[in-house]
Amino acid sequence: MNLEQAASFVLEEGKRYGIDSFDLIATDSEDIGIEVFKGRITSTETSRSRGVGIRVLNNSRPGYSYSERFSKDALSQMVRDAMDQTEITDPLDMELPSPKELPNIDLKHFNPELEKLDFAWMRELGLALDEASWNSDKRVENVPHVGVGKTSSQSLIANSKGVFVRKESNVAYCGTGLVVASGDVKKMGSYYRSGRDISLFDPKYIAKEAAHRGTELLDARPLPSGVYSIVFGNRISPQIFGMFSSPYFADSVQKGSSRLVGKLEKEIASSILSIHCEAHIPDYPGSRLIDSEGIPTSAQTKVVEKGVLKSFLYNLESSKKDGVLPTGHGVRSYSGRAGTSFSNMIVPLGEKSREELLSSDSHCILIQKLEGGAGCSAVSGEISIGIQGIYYKNGKPEHAVDRITMNTNYFDLLHKIGGISNEYSDSYSSIKVPDMLVSEIHIAG
Amino acid sequence: MNPSNIETLIDAGKKRKADFVEIYEEESRNSSIALRDQKIEQSLAATDYGIGIRLIYGTDVLYAYTSNDDLEHLLSLINLLADSRGEGAASSGAFTLAGSSSKYSFSPRVHDPRKVAPFRKLELLQTADHIARKVSSKIVQVGVSASDIVTNVLIANSEGLFVEDLRVRSRFYLSVTAEKSGERFVASESPGAVKGFEFFESLPVEELARSAGERALFMLDAGYIEGKKMPVIMGNGFGGVIFHEACGHPLETEAIRKKSSPFVGKLGEQIAQSCLTAYDDGTIEDQYGTIRVDDEGMPTQRTLLIQNGVLKGYLSDRVGSLETGVPRTGSGRRESYQYAPVSRMRNTYIAAGNDTMDSMLASVDFGLYAKRMGGGSVNPATGEFNFAVEEGYVIRNGKIAEPVRGATLIGKGHEILPGISMVGKDLELAAGTCGASSGSIPVTVGQPSLKVDEILVGGR
Repeated sequence: MNLEQAASFVLEEGKRYGIDSFDLIATDSEDIGIEVFKGRITSTETSRSRGVGIRVLNNSRPGYSYSERFSKDALSQMVRDAMDQTEITDPLDMELPSPKELPNIDLKHFNPELEKLDFAWMRELGLALDEASWNSDKRVENVPHVGVGKTSSQSLIANSKGVFVRKESNVAYCGTGLVVASGDVKKMGSYYRSGRDISLFDPKYIAKEAAHRGTELLDARPLPSGVYSIVFGNRISPQIFGMFSSPYFADSVQKGSSRLVGKLEKEIASSILSIHCEAHIPDYPGSRLIDSEGIPTSAQTKVVEKGVLKSFLYNLESSKKDGVLPTGHGVRSYSGRAGTSFSNMIVPLGEKSREELLSSDSHCILIQKLEGGAGCSAVSGEISIGIQGIYYKNGKPEHAVDRITMNTNYFDLLHKIGGISNEYSDSYSSIKVPDMLVSEIHIAG
Repeated sequence: MNPSNIETLIDAGKKRKADFVEIYEEESRNSSIALRDQKIEQSLAATDYGIGIRLIYGTDVLYAYTSNDDLEHLLSLINLLADSRGEGAASSGAFTLAGSSSKYSFSPRVHDPRKVAPFRKLELLQTADHIARKVSSKIVQVGVSASDIVTNVLIANSEGLFVEDLRVRSRFYLSVTAEKSGERFVASESPGAVKGFEFFESLPVEELARSAGERALFMLDAGYIEGKKMPVIMGNGFGGVIFHEACGHPLETEAIRKKSSPFVGKLGEQIAQSCLTAYDDGTIEDQYGTIRVDDEGMPTQRTLLIQNGVLKGYLSDRVGSLETGVPRTGSGRRESYQYAPVSRMRNTYIAAGNDTMDSMLASVDFGLYAKRMGGGSVNPATGEFNFAVEEGYVIRNGKIAEPVRGATLIGKGHEILPGISMVGKDLELAAGTCGASSGSIPVTVGQPSLKVDEILVGGR
């Protein structure tokens, strides 16, 4: 059975069992990729993974199941399994949507040209990238990660009320992670490109950028402990904002896992900060016309506007609980339960350059690397994390820094944002946040 | 998959000049039930199924996986892989499975979770929620889940190996959120074991829930430690996550073969003080990282890593062994059929020493007692690690003083290792999940309480 046949069979089975309300999500993806090490293709991978997951609401009681086998027996068993689960779950007050016409927008998630890319293309690019990485800087000591690949996938969302939406997408990627050394000091620099425009896959440029990211930190030393202004580089600010996306989800608020409870229409951040969720931007990975529960998405949801919290993001369950319309932010994989997510999280560009932000205080740290995220909690807002970057004095770079930590709280940090730059990073990402100046951050060194 | 099809597939790989061909078939039945907001919000039972095919040419790995067990489709994947190298066809005799054959099933102690109705776990979840909330009215949220997975694995290879293994694992997860004046703190517990439903039957749920609730409440009022370098006494059990991340990963041949580890070429050298001995052991009964055979079909073993401070061994899989010359240690592991196996840890721990907590504390004027660690990570290539401290206390004049929150530890594994100067007697293991290139796998970490002379502690 192919994806559509499997979905249609499950819909029929659901009806046959007399299930009053159910929806399903099915995906089928093919990946091919290679890894290169020291001029050799050391790893080649091809895969075909697919699955279908069902959520049934039996007298409002939810039950979940999924299957990676697309045989009639396995899919029928899956429906029965989901029904069995409804005997023990608590009722869920929600209603599945009916089909609605979707806007005629090409999100540019599929490029037929990528389907022609084969192992020969990957081999040539991978070897060129490996060679360029070794030659990118005389301090390159090792290149443990060079990879090239592509993914093509189809997904399908359907429900018992007639929603039946199929979409396809593909993406190619390549990148390198290299180690540069100076004496006993080693630093890693990585740079990856992904997307559907392979003219951007320039091995020399990718290798140079990776080498730069490593070498700029080679002479790093700690700073004295104290309170500093910092600038999150535009590769880092998306990581921070990405880690703290769940407080904006209504289900987090409803379940006591967000400090933004009761803050709607209140000032929660500096007046220069806005956070939008934008779902219709072509060629952005998070764009979608319909969410995973069959709700059409909006082009823009203003979550934070000029520092004021304007909206939470809702899925079917949380919107029903708050008595509002769902906002199209339901997300689900075939093997999981429904949750909430930004489609694309966008912080609008500011007007200053990064250099201007770095000149705004006599002592400033440009953060170019975060070390892990274990000390960050989206529930408490705690941020306690190792950082690396460049120390600026009077707007001029002094030296690289490492072996220091940053300790603050995300919800306090929002109020301390003093500047936003006019540039995003070039990564293919669903989170776009420019460089960001934040004052009064505790640094330990 | 029937043996005849396996032989056909291995034969096809051999005909495309592969030095080694492996078929890995896996079917998992997993179930989980989750309570949050005092409601059973999810109950799931499902089946994962797939086949992984690995061809090795020299030490180059070609891997394909699929959920489709149709023989023609599987043969097409083998040809696709071989074509990617431009390998031609060779003539070879028909392959027959004639090597070692083993079939493992559950021990009589295992209470097969597939035969247990989901409602049997309900009481467990509700008890945990009730006990945790009873701790204080400041407990605003409790999340509890109980999950188990039963996996049938078949591994066959061109050396004639044919192994079938039936595996079971169970895990309990509890998180408790306390809130006061907008401040929130989350404490969690997550025991797991290579056990069936008997794991849940003997789980001290009330104790776990009370402990997490009290910790969340207690840490809510904790202050911050001044960030700087200082001596750190690390608590036992999950404290072993630092050794796992900062030293364990760089001792895997996956890192060694790529010269991406500070421990390359250090076998036989003193890399730590003589008080430190460490093992990676896949044989400990019922532990979450225990395996009968690894995912290449090799029986597991206990591997000595460090003895009295001297580096004694690495953890090796087939490819790592071929590239480095290190004998295989039964450490080839993968999350599922969707990953080729690489060298990974199992139950990794620092062995018990001779020091007491009192003597460790007495040696510190000002420092941190990191009683419970959160998560962390390491970059094996540079050795840089970072860890969060979930429950910490200031040590002042040899005594445990006020609690502190939001502390992190950062440093380099190979630099911290020589700084472990005292090792306690209270060895404990704790379940965890380890993520790396072959996916997320169940492991345990462990250690006794120990003292590190100096680590950078992030604070305010």
